[in-house]
Amino acid sequence: MSAEFDVEFIERDDRSARFLVRGLTPAFANGIRRAMIADVPTLSIDTVRFIENSSVMFDEMIALRLGLIPLTTPLADYEIGETVTVALDVEGPATAYSGDLTTSDGLVEPADKNIPIIKLNQGQRLEFEADAVLDRGKEHAKHQGGVSVGYRHLQRVEVIGDRGEFDEEEPHILRGVIETEDGELVATDEFDNDLTNRYPGKEVSVTDVPGAFVFHVETDGSLSVEELVDRAAESIGDRAAELKDAVSV
Amino acid sequence: MMIPVRCFTCGKVISEYYEEFDARAREGDEDPAAVLDDLGVTRHCCRRMMVSHTDLVDVVSPYQ
Repeated sequence: MSAEFDVEFIERDDRSARFLVRGLTPAFANGIRRAMIADVPTLSIDTVRFIENSSVMFDEMIALRLGLIPLTTPLADYEIGETVTVALDVEGPATAYSGDLTTSDGLVEPADKNIPIIKLNQGQRLEFEADAVLDRGKEHAKHQGGVSVGYRHLQRVEVIGDRGEFDEEEPHILRGVIETEDGELVATDEFDNDLTNRYPGKEVSVTDVPGAFVFHVETDGSLSVEELVDRAAESIGDRAAELKDAVSV
Repeated sequence: MMIPVRCFTCGKVISEYYEEFDARAREGDEDPAAVLDDLGVTRHCCRRMMVSHTDLVDVVSPYQ
């Protein structure tokens, strides 16, 4: 790569972030996005052995709900296909929550504790043992670490003059992040996505900045945003290395 | 029956907010839109999961 990557964070939380990357090609930006969705593995419940289920839902319906519960994934400790045992025993009247799940590894736990699995009435009971397996989003959507991962071009907004005296005042809607003339980065929600709020009475031009992409990354809690991006980039690197090896032999 | 664990469209975990949404906006008299904003359910795909859901477990429970 000739150009260096330049990364700037616009928003950063535990589970979501917005950051600007300069020096990317559109193909590489999309490669990263796809790797975040399909290539970064997470743990998810896959096989359930029911010991007792007298709830109103069938075993299969409960197993489906269990699969969708995000589990925190220590990626350094697990290889693809390795499993963790998860168990639950709740007797009604009560609601079985994801927080009631116990796991065989202390580092693996439900990322959200308040997900209702099933509401149990008097005399109903749910007891099972399950295996959570590490796999990729390619295999099943429940293994996707990233939620609504996407990117947009960075847009540069320049004032080119005053709005014509008799021109209609029309909203000028933009989404994403803009770069102003002084190089300031502004998320469009700050001015309600309407450029006429930020530049009243001005005529502006909006152009895409070449090679600059604003990523929006959100995770389901199984991985942190940093780890997700890191692993996605790593998986692309690994595949490139694999190709290199295969070609050079 | 129970609220789906995740949003059908984007995959965000929404079920953990449903009980609070139900208590505040359905049983309570708060504005549903304001409650959803407060809970961090901002995309309209996730919001429709909450708004359009009716819990039927209690209706079904005597029959099995």
